[in-house]
Amino acid sequence: MKLTIGNIRITDIVLGEQSAVTGSTLKVNVKELEALILEDERIASVCFDVAKPGESTRITPVKDVIEPRTKVEGPGGMFPGVVSKVATVGSGRTHVLKGMAVVTCGKIVGFQEGIIDMSGPGAEYTPFSQTVNLVLNFAPVEGLAAHDYEHALRMAGLKSAVYLGDLAKDVKPDEEIVYEFAPMAKGIEKYPGLPRVGYVQMLQSQGLLHDTYVYGVDMKQSLTTMICPTEVFDGAIISGNCVSACDKNTTYHHQNSPVVEDLFARHGVDLNFAGMIITNENVYLADKERSSDWTAKLVAMLDLDGVIISQEGFGNPDTDLIMNCKKIEALGVPTVIITDEYAGRDGTSQSLADVDAAANAVVTGGNANEVITLPKMDKVIGSLEYVDVIAGGFENNTNADGSITVEIQAIIGATNELGFNKMSAR
Amino acid sequence: MVKEVERAGIPVAHICTVTPISMTVGANRIVPAIAIPHPLGNPKVSMEEEKVLRRKIVETALDALTTEVDGQTIFEVK
Repeated sequence: MKLTIGNIRITDIVLGEQSAVTGSTLKVNVKELEALILEDERIASVCFDVAKPGESTRITPVKDVIEPRTKVEGPGGMFPGVVSKVATVGSGRTHVLKGMAVVTCGKIVGFQEGIIDMSGPGAEYTPFSQTVNLVLNFAPVEGLAAHDYEHALRMAGLKSAVYLGDLAKDVKPDEEIVYEFAPMAKGIEKYPGLPRVGYVQMLQSQGLLHDTYVYGVDMKQSLTTMICPTEVFDGAIISGNCVSACDKNTTYHHQNSPVVEDLFARHGVDLNFAGMIITNENVYLADKERSSDWTAKLVAMLDLDGVIISQEGFGNPDTDLIMNCKKIEALGVPTVIITDEYAGRDGTSQSLADVDAAANAVVTGGNANEVITLPKMDKVIGSLEYVDVIAGGFENNTNADGSITVEIQAIIGATNELGFNKMSAR
Repeated sequence: MVKEVERAGIPVAHICTVTPISMTVGANRIVPAIAIPHPLGNPKVSMEEEKVLRRKIVETALDALTTEVDGQTIFEVK
């Protein structure tokens, strides 16, 4: 499958009466977008705000971050099986509003939502301090159950991103990138000397709002399967929102998967990107065993020479990670795992809940328990009411000067396990 | 907690869902539970069936406590 991504650089968002992309400015007809969102009777109201890099602005509690994209050519539409009808995406042409994001925010759903600071020390930890953000701040109707509210705001965020992305259909992109994924036999024929490297992406599927959807399928109800890596660029995988902020893969992370992008960048150079496997992180031990058995089986069937495994979340998914690693290594196929750590505030505790000697090549996104004080910001989008209850927060964590102290766990994307962050150590 | 209680000379049966983690942390008597969000229950079955299930898990744990082990042992619930 061949997919051309056309990036349209966006440096400003203006709220007004007309929706259009003019140069590098995105204009948003607020009334029209509001009407689209309020079609869902579960949402009582929505406020729009724009947050720009460098501003003294804090956005919280953030649920998801989404990049507006649109299908220009080729089958299917954005977020297939969820917003668009089910049809295989990942080929043709897709336009992207690059440099901006839709951020969903508002009354808390669970406790695993996060903070985005647009400046100051917290901004260093989140990639979304560098994007111009259109923030949708929701209020649910009274008495709405948490799972219904989560679904309503998930859909509202995705629909808004599609509405904005569609404005890019006829715009000439500033840059184009072509991704091509060859069928197995052709790949071997074309790159006979190169190692066949695959990617195993573990998707959060613990339930109780910790979910990921693939073409609309709740991943906890799926067996481990394969996906064409170009499909992720068209929104085939979306976030179900409620994972700890630092290591939740937002929909934006899925749309911009750094592992997929980097494997494509080296495809045909020093490796042959030979396949992508998606698996889940379920709460039954039998599911964990079955899914990791299946992962290893697909690795064998694809005849891979090396595998990168990425995790989402922490705690019991550490076992899924180690099972995947052990079972693939047992085939004689080397693995590298990408994870993050919960090593305590001083960093001296065991980093993962499960370990094995087979996991001898590890990339870490950092220690989520590291503590940071975030200075008071001039503007708050959303509410500071929850900064003590979100994961990474704690009681009485607002200081006299208005600053808040949190573990970096509370910051969106801080220890991302796809490597979509800048923290590093040697 | 399992290890600290055992250090005080009291045997412990660890009921847990993810038995590999229990093995990693060093529990000696391990009883598999149902699922992480509901270790001792199952919302998919009736209340009556659930009670039977719960009793079986607890009885297995009690049996485990009185069984001599010479290494880490998983006691499957019958």
